[in-house]
Amino acid sequence: MTSQTLPQPLYQHIASHSIQQLEPAWLQLKKGSDCILQAGGAWQHYYPQQPQVGQKATELFDVLIGMLPIIEDFELPQIQLRDGQYTDIFALADKEHDWLLFCDVTQNTLQLQQYQQVSNDLILLKAQMKQTLHRYVGHEISERITQGEMQLDAAGERKTIATLFVDIRGFTPFNERHDAQVVMQTLNDYMHCMLPSILQHHGMVDKIMGDGVMAVYGVLASKTDCCFNALHSAEQMIQAVYTLNQQRLSQGLEQLGIGVGIASGEAVLGILGSHERRTFTAIGRHVNLAARLESNARVGEILIDQATYQALNQPQTFTPVTLTLKGIGQTDIFSQTLPCISN
Amino acid sequence: MIQKKVCILGAAGVGKTSLTAQFVYSKFSEKYLSSMGVKIDKKVVTVDETQVNLMIWDIHGEEKHKKITSSYLRGAAGILTVIDGTRPETIQTAHEILTRVHTDIGKIPNIFLCNKVDLTDAWDINPKQLDELKQYNNPIYNTSAKTGEHVEESFVQLTRMLIKP
Repeated sequence: MTSQTLPQPLYQHIASHSIQQLEPAWLQLKKGSDCILQAGGAWQHYYPQQPQVGQKATELFDVLIGMLPIIEDFELPQIQLRDGQYTDIFALADKEHDWLLFCDVTQNTLQLQQYQQVSNDLILLKAQMKQTLHRYVGHEISERITQGEMQLDAAGERKTIATLFVDIRGFTPFNERHDAQVVMQTLNDYMHCMLPSILQHHGMVDKIMGDGVMAVYGVLASKTDCCFNALHSAEQMIQAVYTLNQQRLSQGLEQLGIGVGIASGEAVLGILGSHERRTFTAIGRHVNLAARLESNARVGEILIDQATYQALNQPQTFTPVTLTLKGIGQTDIFSQTLPCISN
Repeated sequence: MIQKKVCILGAAGVGKTSLTAQFVYSKFSEKYLSSMGVKIDKKVVTVDETQVNLMIWDIHGEEKHKKITSSYLRGAAGILTVIDGTRPETIQTAHEILTRVHTDIGKIPNIFLCNKVDLTDAWDINPKQLDELKQYNNPIYNTSAKTGEHVEESFVQLTRMLIKP
């Protein structure tokens, strides 16, 4: 804007107000060098003394080292020449001289910093929450939730899922025999080798209950049927525990086995709890059945219900068994046992 | 004395200011304060009996809507590209920054710092992502501005690369 578009008194008012706020200081430099020919303006804002004719600008301000002589005009915004003070530096060249202009932008910068601080705090918080969510529900679902593509609906959503329960056999007596620190470390070792098997097969860790885990399949999108995912998880889990047991055996540590129960059917997925504390869960008849199957499974054994057996196309590796399950009664189920303890 | 300008670059919140403070003043603060513009710190580094005055330009974090001004990079002899080891998405920012540096001022010595290695439980960089960084053939250090792990070594290594290319 020029004085031609605004009445002169108004233009001068705006210009003087703006210039006053910027507290400008300037250096006229010998063309193509950093040698000061003239200095003027509010230098007390930028440097302890008034720059002198003949001094080198790069000796006064480290920020200019490597920047001079001015080959083309440039701007260095928000430079902290002093702690907490921000300066915009403009480098300009005309036919006869080079120029450096210093403008105080502290006030604006501090205002912007407040917004940026809030924004960056949110970015870090979001990343932290995403990571926490990731650990509970896996990478895929946490990505979908944080991008707003999926909501965990409190009203519940009906879906056909497979539910897997796994538990470390003989963990209660192990717990009684060892110090809590040892128990915690052992549990972590087993969880560390079991949980990836769930996540790799599109399962979602619903709960970790001491030495037991409940996982659901079919909540996350997968090209594979949820029952196959659950079975592959279980097989991989037992294999991983077998490998861990080999290591523990070589270290002279006690080996622990796991048992798995899988059942499938329709369930309602939703949020349970109060306003203050909520948890995602799956509720359905087959969920209880899966828990009962797991509690009957021996070391290395995978027990599956009729529905899962049918969905898996009646795999020949499973043999039929009839068990009386607590609260359910006599039930026809199928069993497969894999090596879990190392000899 | 030899004088070299180095820029410390990376996404917001990766720990650029904390790394600089640890290297120059041996200080660390848990409180995160977002940096604006540029702050310049100096430290004399001795490499094989050669003294180098390092001028460290601690430049504000690269953000989607706030890119690093190319004039800040002018005259830089080397760069430290910082990644937050607990936030794999900051690797992508590092790739973008390096591409811009190469376009603006050409290929200059660079060191990758995967920072916050003290946060072992939250560490989230996998070998595949690390391999993507290795394609640059630049040294990679796992650092902690908090404990000082590999901080001095990485700055000294960059200085060595500047005087003995």
